[in-house]
Amino acid sequence: MPSERFRTTFRAIATDVHFWIPFGVLIGGLFLLDKLR
Amino acid sequence: MNSPSATLPDAAPPSLQANRLRSLQSLGIFCGFAAGAWLGGAEAPIKLVNPDISPITVSLIMVCGVFLARWSVPAFIRGTSHVGADLRQAPHLVLWAVLAGCMWAVANTLTIYAIRNVGLSIAFPLWNTNSLLGIFWGVVLFKELQFAGWKRWLGVLGGAVCMFGGATLLAVASSHQAAPGKAALGIAAALGAGILWGTMYIPYRKAYLTGMNPLSFITFFTVGELVTMISLAVGYRGATPLWHELVGARSVLFWLMLGGFVWVLGDLFQQYATKYVGISRGIPLSNTNQLWGLLWGILVFHELQGGTRTVYTQVITGSLLMAAGAVAIALSSATEREHSSWRSAADREGQRYGIEDEYVRAGMEGRAFGAPQRSRTLLDWILILGTSGLFALLALSARLPHMDISLSWAVALTAAMLALLAAGGIALWRTTRFR
Repeated sequence: MPSERFRTTFRAIATDVHFWIPFGVLIGGLFLLDKLR
Repeated sequence: MNSPSATLPDAAPPSLQANRLRSLQSLGIFCGFAAGAWLGGAEAPIKLVNPDISPITVSLIMVCGVFLARWSVPAFIRGTSHVGADLRQAPHLVLWAVLAGCMWAVANTLTIYAIRNVGLSIAFPLWNTNSLLGIFWGVVLFKELQFAGWKRWLGVLGGAVCMFGGATLLAVASSHQAAPGKAALGIAAALGAGILWGTMYIPYRKAYLTGMNPLSFITFFTVGELVTMISLAVGYRGATPLWHELVGARSVLFWLMLGGFVWVLGDLFQQYATKYVGISRGIPLSNTNQLWGLLWGILVFHELQGGTRTVYTQVITGSLLMAAGAVAIALSSATEREHSSWRSAADREGQRYGIEDEYVRAGMEGRAFGAPQRSRTLLDWILILGTSGLFALLALSARLPHMDISLSWAVALTAAMLALLAAGGIALWRTTRFR
C-alpha cells in the first residue's frame, strides 16, 4: 500500500543519521546567512 | 539520444568483473576532468555582465538557466520516462536531492558575502576545503578508500592537499581586491560555504550508491535549488525591487542563463564522476575548474595583464600544483577490494530503504534494470523545444558589452570544451548508456 510505503520511507529517513548531518548543516548555513544580511 | 537498453546485456554478473570496474573507474576519472572544464567555462558568460546588478539577482537568474537545463538535458539524453522509473524504485531520493539543492543555493549565496567581505584570495581557498570534507564523509560514511592501501590513500589525500595549495596560490594571484573589513564574517561565510558544499556530497553519494541515475537526481536537485534561491532573493531584495532589477537586466539575461546552462553540463559530469569514482576522487578532480576559469580569465579576458613577476610565479606554481594533485588522484582509482566495500555500503542503503538488490547493483555497475522505458514523450519535446525557444528569444535581446575580448582564444577554449563534451558523451553512452 502506498501509505504504508510512505510511512516506512519516512521512518527510514527520520532514523538515518546521514540525513540529519546535511540537514543540520543546511540549518546552520541559513542561520549564518541571516547573520550576514 | 535514445536508450536502446535491449542492445545491452541485461543479465547481472555475480560480481563486478575486473575489466568492467576498470572501465567504470576510467570513465569516472574522465568525467571529473570534463566537469572541471565545463564548470570553469561557466564563468565566462558571467564575466560579460555589468557588475551593477546585485549578486543575489545574478545568482537567481543563473539558477533559472540551471533549472531549465536540468530538465531539458535529461529529456534530450534519455527522456523523462526514465526519471519516473527511477522515482518508482527509490522515491526517498527525491527528498535527498531537494535537500542537496537547498544546500547548494545557500552555499552559493554565502560565497557572495565571502567575496564581498574578505576578497576572492581568502574566500576561495576556504570554501575549496569542500573537497577535503568530501573525502572525510566518503571515508567515514560510505567506506571509500577502505582496503585501498597506503599508496592510494597518499595519492587521494596528497593530491587533494596539493590541489588545495595550488588553489590558494591561484586565488591569491587572481585577486585584485584590497583587504576589506568584516573579515570574521567573511571568513565564516567562506567556511560555511565549504562545509555546505562538502556535506552536500552526502546526498550525492547516497543517491548513486542506491542506484539512481544522475540524470534523474538533478531534476529533483534543481527544485530545491530554485525554490531556495527564489526565497532568498525575494527575502533579501523584496519582490518589487527584484522584479524591477530583473526587467532592467533584460540585455544580460541570456549570458547569465547561458552560464547556468554551461554550469549544468559541468555538474552533470561531476555527478557521473561521483557515481563511478566516489566523492573522495570525483570532487577534487572537478575542482580543476579553477584552472579553466583562470585560462578563460587570462587568455580571453586579458586578466592579470601587466602583473608582477610574483603574480606570474604564483599562477604557474599554483597551476602546476593543481595539475599534479589531479594526476595523483586520477592514478589512485579504486581496486576491486575497495569496490567490494562500496558494495557493502550500497547493500546497507538498499536494506534500509527497501530497494531491490538488482536495482542497486545495476545502478552501481551502469547496467540496464527492468523493462526498457519509452525513449521520449510529448513532455520531453515540450521541454527541449521550450528551452531552446526561450534561449533563442533571450539571445535576440542580448547585447555584448564593450570589452577587450580575445575571440580567437574564446573559440579555441570553446572547441576544447566541446571536444571534452563529445568524448565524455560518447564514453558515457558506450560504457553505461548514460546510466
